[in-house]
Amino acid sequence: MTPQTDAAPTNQRGKVRNKRQSLQAPERRAGYGMLTPSLLVIGAVTLFPILYSMWMSLNHISLTVNGFSMNFAGLQNYSLVIHSETFWHSVWFTFYFAVVTVFLELFLGMLIALAINGIDRLKNVSVVIMLIPWSLITVVSAQMWGYIYNGVYGVLNYLLQSLHLIGAPVTWLGTGTSAVMAMMVADIWKTTPFVVIIILAGLQMVPRDLYESAYLDGANAWHVFWSVTFPMVRGSIALAGLFRILQAFGMFDLPYVLTQGGPGTATESLSILGDRVMFQNLDFGPGSAVAVCTVILVLALSLVFLSAFRNLVREGESE
Amino acid sequence: MKNRTKLGTLGLSVVTLGALVAGCGTAPTTNTATNTASNGTSGTQNTTGTVDLSKASGTVVWAASPIAQTGIRNTLIGDFEKAHPNIKIQLVDLPSNTDTNRQSLATEIEGGATTPDVYMGDVIWPAQFGQSQLAVPLNKYLPSSFFTRFASGLVQGASYKGNVYAAPFYVDSGFLYYRKDLLQKAGLQPPQSWEQVVSDAQTLQKKGLVQYGFVWQGASYEGLTCDFMEYLTDAGGQVLNSQGQPTIDSPQALKAVNFMKSLITSGISPRAEVTFQEAQSMNVFDQGNAAFLRNWDYAWSNSQNPADSKVVGKVGVEPLPTFGGPDGHGTIGGWDLYVNPHTKNLNASLEFINWMTGVQAQKILATKYSEIPTNATVQNDPQVKKVNPVLNIVSQVKLVSRPSQTPNYPQVSQAIYTNVNQALSGGTSVSAALKKAQQQIQSAVSGNGGL
Repeated sequence: MTPQTDAAPTNQRGKVRNKRQSLQAPERRAGYGMLTPSLLVIGAVTLFPILYSMWMSLNHISLTVNGFSMNFAGLQNYSLVIHSETFWHSVWFTFYFAVVTVFLELFLGMLIALAINGIDRLKNVSVVIMLIPWSLITVVSAQMWGYIYNGVYGVLNYLLQSLHLIGAPVTWLGTGTSAVMAMMVADIWKTTPFVVIIILAGLQMVPRDLYESAYLDGANAWHVFWSVTFPMVRGSIALAGLFRILQAFGMFDLPYVLTQGGPGTATESLSILGDRVMFQNLDFGPGSAVAVCTVILVLALSLVFLSAFRNLVREGESE
Repeated sequence: MKNRTKLGTLGLSVVTLGALVAGCGTAPTTNTATNTASNGTSGTQNTTGTVDLSKASGTVVWAASPIAQTGIRNTLIGDFEKAHPNIKIQLVDLPSNTDTNRQSLATEIEGGATTPDVYMGDVIWPAQFGQSQLAVPLNKYLPSSFFTRFASGLVQGASYKGNVYAAPFYVDSGFLYYRKDLLQKAGLQPPQSWEQVVSDAQTLQKKGLVQYGFVWQGASYEGLTCDFMEYLTDAGGQVLNSQGQPTIDSPQALKAVNFMKSLITSGISPRAEVTFQEAQSMNVFDQGNAAFLRNWDYAWSNSQNPADSKVVGKVGVEPLPTFGGPDGHGTIGGWDLYVNPHTKNLNASLEFINWMTGVQAQKILATKYSEIPTNATVQNDPQVKKVNPVLNIVSQVKLVSRPSQTPNYPQVSQAIYTNVNQALSGGTSVSAALKKAQQQIQSAVSGNGGL
């Protein structure tokens, strides 16, 4: 409610609203007019490819000198995808990876944001230092982690051996479990700063007097966190989580550089699988079906998260 | 139809939701598109299906990954341009990973790109690229006499369904490199069987002369398929039988993979072996940390380059052994020259290929860079053999091809290397891995997109 409407007498409230709407109608039309070009561009670069991929996924596609030759195949490509063990393995890996990394990133991100928010001096310097991993291109940082994890001359083995924690060098990227874990560490290292920034922004919106009154009422730090801080930054956490889940589902560059999906297919994410089927095997029909299935999965997940996100924010407001 | 043409001409379609990769280039699906391979050259094409190359001119864009050392491509281009003042060659650098190469070339050409005119592609591509019409069938434009220059079997390897889609440019094969100095110290002779490689390696390691016994390619990629093919053929097995059906779930394959795995578990090969591509294994050997190395012929010149190698002058090379004896199998690798079907300059492109597979260029490849030439005359030239020790023994190598005659070869190879790699890394048992590979190859040859 804006102060303006609150000030209006109750019996005129409806009128005021109507008046405002009619006043804004031409403006609104102008607004839509100005939006149209950008909507068209967005439609051309996102909607068209998505629809075209959907069309491709319904066809048998062979390549010819004159481009694609398509034969309508109905849902045959989808049947292939849905019955493929490889596909479900990729779904499982991508999901597992996304959930574990996003959870840890939110947890660490919260801790770091609280720490940075709590210091008075060098706050900006700390933020900049912390942002370095995030600002590095993933291909570059993944290559760097590749050197760290290297089984022959990797720094990690050197450190662990110097500390006598391991006897012989470990091939971190050579077995399924350790490769997945190693990749999670690289991802958490890289994207936690993103979470920190968003939560930090939320923390700085919390009014100082709330803390003061809480302490005056005799609350300890733990209570203050759960009753004041956390409810106020809930929205930021949910937002960061949503972004991260979506990104994690499209993960491509990290496994592409670090493991190429190996060992075996242990780290083959949905994007890596789609890429392999389309661009290595040149099977555009099944490849498009993988892509469309991924889109559907991501859309479904975002809907779930969006509604959870709304509830969280509402709860936060009501408290 | 109208819609489809419109869709086609709009071109590139890339789904990007998050970082989801799902794109592809498209070209018009109707015949209104310029088919340069057939129309653009109709003026010079004679009825026998060959073209006159002597008057070729213009610019040819050549896409190629670094060959052994980067300098080689420019050396060849310089000499070509000297001999052909009317033709300019423009080099486009490609990455050295064969799969990345295929990806960028296939999408560009499928999208209708007119350049590169000529590209260097893997020997395992002809079937896939022929099937997908990503390369010009050279036999339609070059006389049959052109193909007689190549050593036997090579043209067949570049053919698919009766058409020759590539000109063999240079050949690679697997060889066994060994440390002469270490064997001498231990009073050993170069090994004559896989069993001797194992026992010699153990002897050298026990004496503390070297850290690792034997390094090779065990990562989850095409190179592992190459290494596996050698052990498999040595053990008497096959990936596909003559009917094109998978036969990889066999006692022979079990023997092959068990042997590879035992190299790692016994400590002869490092645990990191399962992440090694050519460069990593060559690096360990060149730094003096391994007694034996399985690698391609170019590893010879690398090991003799003081800038990268600590073992200059200490290296010997012999054909890979087999189980219980010498003269085992070496996988055929190497690179071919392909012509883009959308090229605007077919004649100059063909002349470039003609020269690159001719005596002068092939001699440079063989003598300066220890590649095996495809030109039979150069391969048998005693002068060339004197300079290149690998060439001296290449005639003793029993060459084995990967099953790349099927257009689904990429899927077949993926089924091999992902599963063998998993078995080597201990993620699954050897027999389970072979069973899974068998299933996956079965569905790959029936065309399921590798899913």
